[in-house]
Amino acid sequence: MPAWTQVPPTAARTPRTDVKRARGVAIAFGHSVLSCTAVMLILATAVFLALRLLPGDPAALVLGDESSAQDRAVLRAKLGLDASLPVQYAHFLRGLLTFDFGESIRKPGIMAGSRVASALLPTTELAVIGVAFGAVFGITAALLANGPWLGEKKHWVNRVLVMVAATPLLALAPTLTFALAVRTHLLPLPGDPDAGLSGLLFAGSLLGLPLGAHAGRIGAAALSDIADKPFLRVARAKGASNLSVWLRHALPCVMGPLVTVLGTQLGALLGGAVVIERLFERKGLGTLMIEAYFTRDLPVLEASICASGLLFVVTQAIAGALHAAVDPRVRA
Amino acid sequence: MSGSKHATRTRILRLAPLVLLVGVSFVLTLASPQHPETLDPSAAWAPPSAAHWLGAGEGGSDLMLVVAHATLRGSLLALCVSLFGAAVGVPLGALAAMMRGRVEAWVSRTCDLLQAFPSFLFAITVLAAVRSPTRLHLGIAFALTAWVPFARLALAETRVLRSQSFIEASRALGATQARLLGRHVLPNLMSTIAVQLGATAAAIVVGEAALAFVGLASSDRVSLGCILDQGVASMLRAPTVLLVGALSVFALSSSMMLAGRAADR
Repeated sequence: MPAWTQVPPTAARTPRTDVKRARGVAIAFGHSVLSCTAVMLILATAVFLALRLLPGDPAALVLGDESSAQDRAVLRAKLGLDASLPVQYAHFLRGLLTFDFGESIRKPGIMAGSRVASALLPTTELAVIGVAFGAVFGITAALLANGPWLGEKKHWVNRVLVMVAATPLLALAPTLTFALAVRTHLLPLPGDPDAGLSGLLFAGSLLGLPLGAHAGRIGAAALSDIADKPFLRVARAKGASNLSVWLRHALPCVMGPLVTVLGTQLGALLGGAVVIERLFERKGLGTLMIEAYFTRDLPVLEASICASGLLFVVTQAIAGALHAAVDPRVRA
Repeated sequence: MSGSKHATRTRILRLAPLVLLVGVSFVLTLASPQHPETLDPSAAWAPPSAAHWLGAGEGGSDLMLVVAHATLRGSLLALCVSLFGAAVGVPLGALAAMMRGRVEAWVSRTCDLLQAFPSFLFAITVLAAVRSPTRLHLGIAFALTAWVPFARLALAETRVLRSQSFIEASRALGATQARLLGRHVLPNLMSTIAVQLGATAAAIVVGEAALAFVGLASSDRVSLGCILDQGVASMLRAPTVLLVGALSVFALSSSMMLAGRAADR
């Protein structure tokens, strides 16, 4: 038998490769957990230092300049600001671990952590819808830009993607809201208490639009790199439909870059969530953070910034693990 | 040569929008010396007219004047911060790549970590310490993370450059590390850095406007984000305010991105 007729040994799916794969994913996950902890620690330490090291008495910030020295001393004792800096930091870190930042100053009796916990859900909903919309939009656009469905018009997809990606969310969101909600009444107005699900979906998809445009550009470029590869020609020759060629054979190869883009855009997504919440007057982490900033509710401010950091870190870790799950090179 | 002529024309065309935008804003601020927040309550939320070309905002402030001032101050902030970022990040990244070894690994890892950092969140964190941020505070808050993309870029580009023969040759001729960096590596990084300068400046324009939009405006309250804030509040009464705000944010950020590509071939 000539050598070329022999089928090369394929990587058979044995229990052993499964274990290796799972271990690889676990290691990648461990790495991302480590770097995520570092991000979290930097952010938390920045809040801690910003409120304590920079000039100005936090107690005077809270109570105003006219407050008496005695009142300030009482507040300082309550916030634990009278201890030495290392002691305060240790206390702060312990609070960070148990998510106990003390009582809210403006709403006495309510823990800062619980105010943040109740704001976490709306923001998570918004972010999840944003990421989901971004992923679907990006993948669809990337497929349309390369597949045969649009014919010669497919070059327009890339142009539109470039334009959407270059338009800041800050300019895009209010304009689209004006066009869709005020002019055409297709959607509820921002701040409408009866907006409900359609309001949430609209806000979430606005948030996901820039993300989707970035993912679409990267995905389209990656797909066009592999468009002429032999394995796709083989699939076509075996009679696979266009949809099956692009969805089943081409798309899995570009999942890595797509997941990476989603991961790197998460920080921008959180910043965008603050803007979107402000625009639609939605309750959430961003609104709480800004409110705490203006009312000088320091425990709530610390807690909400740490919570957004946590949200960022967790999603980042998920993105890292997803990347390892779809791309064996990351696992190694 | 027609080729280089064409390249020059492309460069000028890419710089033109930013120059035009900043130039017109500058002329407008010179032409009407009054403070941008001068109020004229009778004209509040007025649509565009001969007296107020872009209409009037809250309390009758002339929108065109506010946009001009906000554009100038915003672009100055963006320019300062992105130049600072380049001045710190580029030498850091290039030096780390030339030194190789542990330094390179550490700088590279730090950049990876900070690259996906929620910088908007970080800015709010830093600003939490001041009662009402001035433009200097905003600049510091942005500058803390602005150097990262420059360092990353310089690191990646220098990794390619360092093994090329002209670098090897001058090293063999006895050039010091500093001379290699200054004479051979940095000049080759310039066009890439220019693109990143544009992108960073655009991001800072948008970041400053976004902070102002959610309420963290600099203490003079002259920002494109403040116009957007007014515009959202008056979406039904005076939609022009919203559109003017959104368009000027878009125009300034995209013209900065385009200007950054002027040095690109």
